[in-house]
Amino acid sequence: MSAAGAASGDAAVVVDAVSKKFRLFHERNQTLKSAVMRGRRIVADDFWAVRDVSFEVPHGATFGLIGRNGSGKSTLLKMLARIYQPDSGRVVLHGRVSSMLEVGSGFHPELSGRENIYLNGSILGLTRKQVAARFDSIVDFSGVETFIDQPVKNYSSGMYVRLGFAVAVHTEPDILIVDEILAVGDGAFREKSRKKFLEFTGEGRTVILVSHALSEITAMCQQVAWMHEGRLRALGPTDDVVAAYTASIADESS
Amino acid sequence: MTLAYGRELIATRELLLNLTMREVKGQYRRTVLGQLWSIINPIATMIVYTLVFSFLLRVPPPPGDPSGLDVYALWLMCGLLPWTYFTRVVNGGVASITANAGLITKVYFPRMHLPLSVTLSTAITFGVELGVLTIALWIVGGFPLPWLPLVLVAIVILAMFGTGLAMMLAIVNVHFRDTQHFVGILLPMWMFLTPILYPLSLVEEAAGREGAWVLTVFQLNPMLHIVELFRALLYDNALPTALEWLAAIGSASIVFALGYLVFARYERRLAELL
Repeated sequence: MSAAGAASGDAAVVVDAVSKKFRLFHERNQTLKSAVMRGRRIVADDFWAVRDVSFEVPHGATFGLIGRNGSGKSTLLKMLARIYQPDSGRVVLHGRVSSMLEVGSGFHPELSGRENIYLNGSILGLTRKQVAARFDSIVDFSGVETFIDQPVKNYSSGMYVRLGFAVAVHTEPDILIVDEILAVGDGAFREKSRKKFLEFTGEGRTVILVSHALSEITAMCQQVAWMHEGRLRALGPTDDVVAAYTASIADESS
Repeated sequence: MTLAYGRELIATRELLLNLTMREVKGQYRRTVLGQLWSIINPIATMIVYTLVFSFLLRVPPPPGDPSGLDVYALWLMCGLLPWTYFTRVVNGGVASITANAGLITKVYFPRMHLPLSVTLSTAITFGVELGVLTIALWIVGGFPLPWLPLVLVAIVILAMFGTGLAMMLAIVNVHFRDTQHFVGILLPMWMFLTPILYPLSLVEEAAGREGAWVLTVFQLNPMLHIVELFRALLYDNALPTALEWLAAIGSASIVFALGYLVFARYERRLAELL
């Protein structure tokens, strides 16, 4: 399978020969003393977390990223979410991007659920007006109505993530980037979020998702990229790539 | 590139407002006295410094000209409150990146909002403190009210100077966490070398004994000029000289511009360094 996608006008996301390296310091000691003691010698190795990866995601597609721990999926996802900058290559995103790498980022424990919805909404790029318009729907989705004016530190961990998740799915971006967070809440809530995602893609929005749950990937994605040691091992229709990936895991464990 | 960054900052200004409200609302939650703490703290400091520097050491501040005021405690606060605000902006701004590591590594937004939100949220405390000081000055016979618009200009100058410094140091702090400890030691030393607890006339006396270079060295300190703005406006009720304005505005603009450029240039790499 080829890693290079044909250039097309209707791609929502274009990843073009993207690489990202990290410096591995043998002694990760960020003090001035250690810098002076090292002198001018740089005791660091370059580690390529993502190397020369290219693919395109068409508008309205749900695209999965699979691979083992440390294969570079999350690093790649963070580059798509603009949190990391590629060392070479480029990422082009057509449309408004919202990322859900963690739910409830920026929640302040002493503030109420209501205040945190506004805070979190603006962190995710919504204006106050937009949050106000979606407020009831967010609260309804999260199912924490009764506690909405309580400080979130009093929330159970389930309520906390449900509220964070509810804000994130209401940002209504053109491109949504999701890391491993569909496994939030109880069975009923998971069903609700699955439905929300289907609604999302139905509206022509693009979703890129990382998951270790292959059943989820198979159910939701049309296309899958398999990352292995920072490189793209395979790219194509979900069933083919997932089958190859499953076979390789079976190979190794036998 | 830096222009595009500025446009992005403006486009996401609501986030700055929300981050500021987060700081303000979160700060005194679950304290009995709440926002009163921001008044108690400077009053306690004022009592101690007045006891030591006015009662024991007998440091003589010149009477306000033309206001005629001669109260060490109030003269002190006209310089100490701006200084305290400055240290809050610098300390808070430097720590704002490492303190919000969880946010930076999970969501993209212009990171400059973090030190800026410290500047704004601490400005509210500073404003309350200055309000109380203004009333006190008015009660003892000063005439501070007509000068308040110019005090506002001085606040902006001070905020720019502190924020510029904070932004530069925040970037350095991500590379070397020693920075915030250095800053913690350096700021008190800097305060004692700025005429805040003692009047500039003492420095002039020393210059008379030791040579004019002493005064020159002191005047290289931008904070001396910025503090003088507040003293002249609030305590003396006089217009600061054009030279004072120029020194204060000039140094604040340069430091802020440098801080902005450094921060805008290096902020994209923050997530991976945290």
